[in-house]
Amino acid sequence: MITRLSGAMCIDGVGASQVRDLVMDGETLCSESPSGQRWDAEYDLPNHIVVAGGIDLHTHIGGGKVNIARLLLPEFVQRERTPLLESDRFITPLSSPVPGTIETGRRYLEMGYTACFEPAVLPANARHAHAEMADTPWLDTGGYLLLGNERLLLEWIREGVSQRQINDYVAWMVQAHQCCAVKVVNAGGIDAFKFNQRHMVVDDKHVHFGITPRQILKALSIAVESLGFAHPLHVHCSNLGMAGNIASTLSTIDAVEGRRLHLTHAQYHCYGIDGPHGYSSAAERLADRVNANPNLTIDVGQLQFGQTVTLSGDTMHQFANRALARPRKAIFQDLECQAGCGVLPFRYRQDQYVHGLLWTIGIELFLRVNDPLRIFLTTDHPNGAPFTSYPHLIRLLMDYDFRMSVFSRLHPDVQKSSPLPSLVREYSLEEIIKMTRLGPARALGLANRGSLQQGCIADVVVYERSSNPEEMFSKPRMVFRRGKLVYRDGVLLGDADKATIVAKFETDSQMDTLLKSLWRNRYGYSTELITVRADELVSSKRSIEWTVFKRAAGSFLP
Amino acid sequence: MICPFCSLLCDAEDLRTISCDRRTDSLAKVASLRREPSREAEAEVGLSEAKRALQRAKRVLVTGRIASVETARAAIAFAIQYNATIDCAEAGHVFKNVLALQRSGMHSVSIAEARDHSDLFIIVGDDRMLHSVPRMPAAFANYSPISRTVLLLGEFGPDSIRKWKGAGFDTWAVHCDLKNVPMALSQWARWSDRVSQDQAKSKEEAERSHASGLLDRMARSAYTTVLWCAEHLTMEHADLWVERMFQWVATRNEKSRCAALPWTSTDGTFQQVCTWQTGFPGRVAFRDGVPEYDPLQNAYEQWLERASRIAATESVVVLIDETASATTFLQPQTIPQLKNSAVIELTGTSEWFPTAIAGIETGAGLFRADQTLLANVLPTIEPPVDCKPATFWLEGLSR
Repeated sequence: MITRLSGAMCIDGVGASQVRDLVMDGETLCSESPSGQRWDAEYDLPNHIVVAGGIDLHTHIGGGKVNIARLLLPEFVQRERTPLLESDRFITPLSSPVPGTIETGRRYLEMGYTACFEPAVLPANARHAHAEMADTPWLDTGGYLLLGNERLLLEWIREGVSQRQINDYVAWMVQAHQCCAVKVVNAGGIDAFKFNQRHMVVDDKHVHFGITPRQILKALSIAVESLGFAHPLHVHCSNLGMAGNIASTLSTIDAVEGRRLHLTHAQYHCYGIDGPHGYSSAAERLADRVNANPNLTIDVGQLQFGQTVTLSGDTMHQFANRALARPRKAIFQDLECQAGCGVLPFRYRQDQYVHGLLWTIGIELFLRVNDPLRIFLTTDHPNGAPFTSYPHLIRLLMDYDFRMSVFSRLHPDVQKSSPLPSLVREYSLEEIIKMTRLGPARALGLANRGSLQQGCIADVVVYERSSNPEEMFSKPRMVFRRGKLVYRDGVLLGDADKATIVAKFETDSQMDTLLKSLWRNRYGYSTELITVRADELVSSKRSIEWTVFKRAAGSFLP
Repeated sequence: MICPFCSLLCDAEDLRTISCDRRTDSLAKVASLRREPSREAEAEVGLSEAKRALQRAKRVLVTGRIASVETARAAIAFAIQYNATIDCAEAGHVFKNVLALQRSGMHSVSIAEARDHSDLFIIVGDDRMLHSVPRMPAAFANYSPISRTVLLLGEFGPDSIRKWKGAGFDTWAVHCDLKNVPMALSQWARWSDRVSQDQAKSKEEAERSHASGLLDRMARSAYTTVLWCAEHLTMEHADLWVERMFQWVATRNEKSRCAALPWTSTDGTFQQVCTWQTGFPGRVAFRDGVPEYDPLQNAYEQWLERASRIAATESVVVLIDETASATTFLQPQTIPQLKNSAVIELTGTSEWFPTAIAGIETGAGLFRADQTLLANVLPTIEPPVDCKPATFWLEGLSR
């Protein structure tokens, strides 16, 4: 099937935006019709823009904590009856801060997103996370493996095992759980909470193991770099949401000693202690660090006002916030000597000082970080807000007057103290496209996505130009997945093949033997029980897309 | 090889080292299951007849014991297509926990975490617990030299006590009425706080007394795990009992660490899949593809009660049973209302479609009892000729 889109402005952030033809030959983009063949389909699209499919590199769409949030909050589910897809089979039932898989896939596609990454795959939960993502239609997916709180690793760091052994361990774990990157959440802090430690920052010692988050971050960042992951260590810093946490965030950056680092939901990690309520913005300090350090990327985790649910592996800080849950209920779990989770429903109010301040801090970060290829548009779905708020967020970034109209409704003390009115930057369309397509693709090492260059996967989105970017990005005219038109003018036209993006390593057989024995002692079952085989991720509609990284040869054992 | 007969999911090494009566009994039961359809019909004929019944029906119920991810997916897709109500046979037990946590949340712990880290296990229930999961004490025993205590609360006999002791636990048993356990724990917590405060001056005296010794253990526990099996909670309004247990655990976390481990059987797998696909843990009625959640009205017992009041041909029950316990569920003697409904059975003892059992004759994705770990289980035995998985029939009926 050869499809030509003509007359539209093609924007991908690689070259200059221009009106040109775009040709899809089967599943890939090509420069022109192969061997002079005619088009099977042609669309003339003046007054439209054509971009690559959106990529969300941090959205909680699969795994235990997401399902626990659904289980906790059935009362949030709105009953809407929008007609949907594949006539006789599918459904469009829900509207909730944490919707079911089918709605998640549909809503992302309806905004023009085609690939999403679950950023916190607990090793013991990996098969579950993949099963949920398999049931999330239309989207390519991948997961980041949650490391840095496994008792085994903490013991090894305490014992001073070789970095080589840690590298091999990380490779084995990522391979065994079919993930594509490594994330650490409150390094060591989740485990410390299981020992009743209620506070831990970068140089605090774990009450049981006597090691610090700095040691863990350093060891994992070296492993990620040595193994050649495209995506740097993806870090949720210590001290989530606490006033004054900018100090621990900057210490976290220092802990990796100049190596590449991605700070996630950075908005929640750049607070000072000034201002009328002892809670202030430190966005400028963090943005300055990002601007000065090309090895640093961030996603924002912008919050929006309204009801949502927060879910995090950071049990320590979720527990600390338990009194803030609205409605007043929460779930906390201690899991498998590996991590934990805390799920708290949360209602962000624009007339509340701290909530309003957090809103301004996220926007400040967007406006202060110069390079849109190193800052990514996220709400840390659903923690800051459901992902469906992205078009609104884009308008906030592109339209100063609109931004100020929201700002003017915030708590008076926020309006007095925030520098937001002085930040007059308005994002261009090209910058938005970079931040939501090309940037995340590059950050994840996905060379065949995020742009409209020849040879890329033909995930293509067509938007009709509008003076209101929120309206424009809410309703694409067309979405092509792998060259197939799957959505047009509000109507889903069919299913799409999916891929799971997985890092491929050669793992060390000696590590395999070692972990088999240690796993049984520690967890009481064999590694075979949890190892996800590659063929489990493959079906008639689902394939694996390998991301191959370089890796030093040899074994950690002499 | 992973054993699918209970939700502990033991692996080959576990099974080599420790015998399990449940596994032995279940294997014998599976071997003797009658597999011939009681009505002679080719699969295509049976499917056509079933489809006709479904198309005629005004109300469809999908129920039974859905043990695997694969069958849960197929059953939900089927229910969507036929605007059916879907509710599992074990939902009555599952929802004791679900309703409680949906009201007030919970603190919970997974099996390996408790095994590695917990110094006090409070096991609430009776001897049925070890009949259901014989390897439970072995699963919680670990290599750690730290002293680990088990407190059995409820109606445990000498055999249960012996098994926990045999697994290396310092075992205490307190005979009590299950329904009073939440209140008793609250009172003990207050007493144990007092013991803790007075420990220095009265430790010697305290250890002389059995009760004081127990209180001392509770006071000193750094990480307490409280385990119960909802299936064995037969008191009225058991969800309120569970909620009080969750509240006790939550209160304890203000000072030390404590977590609940509400044990589920393999039906927890359906609950997980239904939640991630529809947003609800089951007891869902689909209307034009929209799931409507009602934990009371969508219970299969309620559905059957309503069905008994309308013409038999207007209601169809699709019964799926892919567990090895396929014997008594929804037999007419237990659910008399069924006689008014057409029944399409997809069970091991099927009238129409003999199906293979998930994890025993077909591969399956099963969640472990703590709902943390999803295992990929390979078939335990060769399937009988012509047995096909429940997914085959559900998809056949959906086409």
